[in-house]
Amino acid sequence: MEINDRCGDCEFFNNDPEWIEAAFPGLNSLSSAYASVRAEAGTCSRRGLFLPPWKESCRYFKHIERACIPSD
Amino acid sequence: MSEHVETITSEPALRQQLGWSELWKKEDWWAIYLGIGIVIIALIAFLNGSTFIKSLSINPGGLKWTSFSQLLSHFAKNYQLYILQLISWLIIFGISTRVLGISTSKFIPSFIVLYALSIVMFSIGGWANASKYNLEPPLVALVIGLLIANVIPLPKWMDAGFRVEYYIKTGIVLLGATFPITLVVSAGPVALVQATVISLITCLTIYFAATKIFGLDKRLGAVIGTGGAVCGVSGSMAIASAVGAKKEHLYTSVTLVVVWALVMILFIPFVAKALGLHPGIAGAWVGTSEFADAAGFAAATAYGHMAGNENAAIQGFTLMKVIGRDMWIGIWSFIFALIACLKWEKEESGRKPDAMEIWWRFPKFVIGFFVASFFMTSITASYSAAQFSKVVKPDLIAPIVSLRTWAFIFCFLSIGLTTRFRELKAAGWKPFGAFTIGVLVNVTLGFLLSVYAFGHYWMNLGK
Repeated sequence: MEINDRCGDCEFFNNDPEWIEAAFPGLNSLSSAYASVRAEAGTCSRRGLFLPPWKESCRYFKHIERACIPSD
Repeated sequence: MSEHVETITSEPALRQQLGWSELWKKEDWWAIYLGIGIVIIALIAFLNGSTFIKSLSINPGGLKWTSFSQLLSHFAKNYQLYILQLISWLIIFGISTRVLGISTSKFIPSFIVLYALSIVMFSIGGWANASKYNLEPPLVALVIGLLIANVIPLPKWMDAGFRVEYYIKTGIVLLGATFPITLVVSAGPVALVQATVISLITCLTIYFAATKIFGLDKRLGAVIGTGGAVCGVSGSMAIASAVGAKKEHLYTSVTLVVVWALVMILFIPFVAKALGLHPGIAGAWVGTSEFADAAGFAAATAYGHMAGNENAAIQGFTLMKVIGRDMWIGIWSFIFALIACLKWEKEESGRKPDAMEIWWRFPKFVIGFFVASFFMTSITASYSAAQFSKVVKPDLIAPIVSLRTWAFIFCFLSIGLTTRFRELKAAGWKPFGAFTIGVLVNVTLGFLLSVYAFGHYWMNLGK
């Protein structure tokens, strides 16, 4: 099965709105990280980019650790 | 490997797309629920002859008081209504921000401070000599908010209650209820033409100034170009993610937009006043040349007060900014995403953007504006002009306008209270130069189109 990893699945990606407003001083003065226009975009701490979570992953991709549901 | 696949497929990519949960995870939708909810409650109260909403929408802005004793007696007489109003705001904003993920324990004290300051702003606006000294509530709120934020070290957690965008979006949906849909249909296309011409020229000016004159990165050019031409920080955020810009590009745009937006809030109303512009024309000019909804409403409302026709200025601004510019942000993002993918990222084998991104980035609160406008126009169409003036206007429209004004004052104060100049990142003189060239082109062109090309349309507003 082919997996197309996305930035949204990467450990370096962070799109928590509270965190984004703290990370970009002044953003909440005339806009908001809770707005529809952001469309879940977030930052990549590895490459220093602002990206949508559906962007195809790069060579630095590191899968985020999630609780797995074991398959019987 | 199979275990890896299981991990991905057994759990949805939580951070990729919100899907249906956007309906409760985005403030745009909450602004719609609150705005439409208030309109429906006001309508039910009106149809049942109840004065509940009318009483609850109290504000001291229209007192025209000449002595403190008059003002104090107003509060002494109505303090229970103000307490009830505060509790109502706390409930509706408190619950919704809680669902959005904002801490209630931070929101409540912060909002109480905001409410108390708003009472002060309304009281200043309600002073009989306020307009004589240009003490327009939006401008006073902005300046006092800026002073507090930059002189008194307010704790950062208080930003939880200073939700600029949430309040302005709620106010815009409420504005829709007093905005005839017929006006949207008749003047909307003109606004769209003017806004599109100026947005294109401004964006291209900033982009080419940034990339060709100052030799800046093309992604930075796109981010600040859209910030200056379409929708300020929100536009920059959308484009930054569409083109995969650097974080520094967004920092730069935030700083440039915030600084220039504050300058424009003061510049346009006073220049318009000096030139004696019709408030509809000035509103259209603000809508063309201001960068963000919140800042633009502050400027348009302030000039509307100065010129004695707030309605015309707000209508001109709304047509130009909300309908002419905001709605198209998703399309701008899509176009830039296409350019980034097909031209800038060839070597990175970038994925073609999905047309659905237009919808994902669409500022959904605009839907609430249209629904409220259509709904209330349909309801009030059955009343004669005389009935409308005698009954509908004071008992239904006026309370909605008052609640909208509250939402706007919360927003104007919050702009100031969240703008801490010491925290803004340095933008650099090259981006500042490129952006400033765009601002000059935008303001000049916006003035020419608003006054000379389409002025006859905007002069008919507010009647």
